[in-house]
Amino acid sequence: MAQQRLALWNAEEDLEEDVDLTMALENYTQEMHYDDSQISQPQIDESTFIAMQQHMAQQAAFQQIPDVVKSFIVHFHQAVLDNNLAEITVAYESGWNKYTEKFYSKTEWPEAELIAPLVNDDPIFLILYRELYYRHVYSRLQPNIDDRFHSYENSCELFNYLLNSDGPVQLELPEQWLWDIIDEFIYQYQVFCTWRSKVTSKTPDELMMLAEGGPVWSSYSVLNVLYSLMQKSKINEYIVAAREGKSPEEIAEIVGEYGQRPLYRMLGYFSIIGLLRVHVHLGDFTLALKVMENVELNQKSPFTRVTACHVATYYYVGFCYLMLRRYPDAIRTFVTILNFIMRMRQYHTRSYQYDQINKTADRMYALFAICSALSPSRFDDNIANIAKERYGEQFAKMSRGGTFHLCLPQIYHRQPPPYEDPAAISALLEASNDPDSPSQPSPQTDSTRRHLDVFLADVSAQLQVPTLRSFLKLYTSLGAKKLANFLDADEEELVQEMMVLKQASRSISRVPGSEGTSLLEGQMITTSDLNFVIDENMVHIAESTVGRRYAGWFIKNTERTQKILDDLKHMPLPVSSKPNGGASAAAPPTETVTQNRQTRKVAWGGVKAA
Amino acid sequence: MTSEWLTPPTRTELIENLVSGVDRYNPSNVGILEDYLYHQIRSEEYDCLANLAILKLYQFNPDLYNPDVVINILIKALTAAPLPDFNLCISLLDERSINAQLDEPDPLPTVLPILKGLHNLLFRCRFPAFWEIYQSSQLENLRDNYTVEVAGFENAIRAVAIRAVRATFTRISSERLGSYLNLSESELPTYIQKLGWTVDSSTGVVTIPPNPDNQIEATVVQESVKLPRACCVPCKYETC
Repeated sequence: MAQQRLALWNAEEDLEEDVDLTMALENYTQEMHYDDSQISQPQIDESTFIAMQQHMAQQAAFQQIPDVVKSFIVHFHQAVLDNNLAEITVAYESGWNKYTEKFYSKTEWPEAELIAPLVNDDPIFLILYRELYYRHVYSRLQPNIDDRFHSYENSCELFNYLLNSDGPVQLELPEQWLWDIIDEFIYQYQVFCTWRSKVTSKTPDELMMLAEGGPVWSSYSVLNVLYSLMQKSKINEYIVAAREGKSPEEIAEIVGEYGQRPLYRMLGYFSIIGLLRVHVHLGDFTLALKVMENVELNQKSPFTRVTACHVATYYYVGFCYLMLRRYPDAIRTFVTILNFIMRMRQYHTRSYQYDQINKTADRMYALFAICSALSPSRFDDNIANIAKERYGEQFAKMSRGGTFHLCLPQIYHRQPPPYEDPAAISALLEASNDPDSPSQPSPQTDSTRRHLDVFLADVSAQLQVPTLRSFLKLYTSLGAKKLANFLDADEEELVQEMMVLKQASRSISRVPGSEGTSLLEGQMITTSDLNFVIDENMVHIAESTVGRRYAGWFIKNTERTQKILDDLKHMPLPVSSKPNGGASAAAPPTETVTQNRQTRKVAWGGVKAA
Repeated sequence: MTSEWLTPPTRTELIENLVSGVDRYNPSNVGILEDYLYHQIRSEEYDCLANLAILKLYQFNPDLYNPDVVINILIKALTAAPLPDFNLCISLLDERSINAQLDEPDPLPTVLPILKGLHNLLFRCRFPAFWEIYQSSQLENLRDNYTVEVAGFENAIRAVAIRAVRATFTRISSERLGSYLNLSESELPTYIQKLGWTVDSSTGVVTIPPNPDNQIEATVVQESVKLPRACCVPCKYETC
């Protein structure tokens, strides 16, 4: 039976064969012709039809946009039109993130073309909107090659508008946003470089696009933007004039019509920091610090108003110092900013950049641990403790020497190589210009590895230093031969190693009083408590020690006693003993206070005399 | 200390403008900087930042790349040890594959590891080993084609050793010093004399004059309480 039923299917096919197919087809074609002639008019204008379809699709998509988002965009646009900084800030810092979480955590925001009707096709707002749109794509989603190219074009349009309009534009934006624009521009450039270097994972189409891309995200174009912003805003002239204490009128005269506007001034300022970052990325640590020549690294500088910028500045400056082997400077830089981050914690937990700042801070703790292992010194206890907490194991290994090179890469890799592929640009261009051989692996891909090797070679030269130091600590003088025996080393080798130890306890560092000079300035200082000298074959050792610190203890306890005394004085007097009217009751306490004050002053005078 | 490194007194105004200005990115200026490098090589001058500017231009414009220039820059940077100049140059180099545009094979891939090795020896103060390797037959190519052109190269390396010795020793035997400087017994006395050091003719022990690095003293660092801060303690609560 089963077979029978299977046959049924075959039977159906047989039935079909009976029909004259050609006949039927002919009929169809005839009908088609007929229909064609009937509706030829709309068919000819196919583009209109497609446009209509697109329009309908767009309308559908437009309707998909939640109403709150629509009104948010309208509101945002109005705020930008009015140059209402407060409103823009709210929309930028909270509104955008709120709706991102709510509606667009996994998809793109609506295309700029889609929301254009909402903002009267305002080209400037649409550029700003795209800036946010692509930033969202980069941070939350996977940007494809079109996104990468278009975000570049959009950035160019924005900078073109700012730099090449007739005179300065009237736009006002919050400082935070201005920083983010520069920051994101450089970030996208960096990820583009990284992405481009992975030639093998690309489709031929993508390689073609890269080959034809020309200046897209080229280092020259990025530098050009940053330098142009700096020059237009005359920011370096502004900083110098402000430092010299010139009057606002004089400054206005110096910086010209662009530099007077906060938008340009801040963009100029942030461009300097941006350049710092680009140069670190490219492996040019001296130039990176050189562009910072006029910027003063202190808590009063304008860049501190934007926390993300503040943190980034110190991070990159500290990193430069590390690569310049100026460990004390690096330590100082990291300690300053890590203390700042700690103090600011309660405020910036609310910031949408909290995570980013925390990640950077974590890297800086790692770098701090590296620096302090390389150049042990009396550093900030708070920071040292946290660093030990987080990287205790690696830190201990590094301080003891020996396994330095084993644990170092772990820490080192924690910080994202700020220079993913410094020089890769050239080879990448070669590779992309040559789509016939895309399979040839680019040697540049692993440039982080190369920088790491350079750093590790430096470090391994100092492997013996901690051991030597711990031995020397035990003696005031010691024969080189004896020391060599302890270490199971050849005497000549040991003497040479001692020169390394001497080298390692000297470093170039900025010195007090060098404020206002270039970050590259500095003098040779001693970084170690342990000092030694070799007299022929005898090693003489001297150690500087720190006397016990009393002042802090006394100050703390004086303050505490003072507090207790004050609390006591502010306690209400027992009311029952004074049943008189309010006016007379008020007088005696004042008297007691003044009396108390006098006695206290006497007490302080006594302490000073003693 | 660093100001001389940042702007050597021998740097001309033209170079200064290139190094400090935006013109450093202009590829057409590479010739000027390269000429300046060869000038440094002939006249025992050294300008690290100007040389880094050349490497920067190579980084951005691979078609300008000239391996001989790179090697000369690295050789000059060797003499700056223990300053990080050599590493700064390395950081700007990309490990390029074979450059097809060159007529001759690129010498850099073979020379670079040698130079790195020499730098490592200098940085680790292994001066006798440095001289041994430097004079070995494997490095004949480097000596004949490059360092021979660099005026005063050996003396510049000796200066590296001198810096290390001056910081570490108060007295050192002639024999040891000679091995660091690669000088024979007959050459050494004149060299020591030029430095202003003295040698005891009977024992052959060289005395190094006192300098900030070879003077040691055990000190106790006492805390210093700044008065204005201490004064603030009572004031803080009086205003409350």
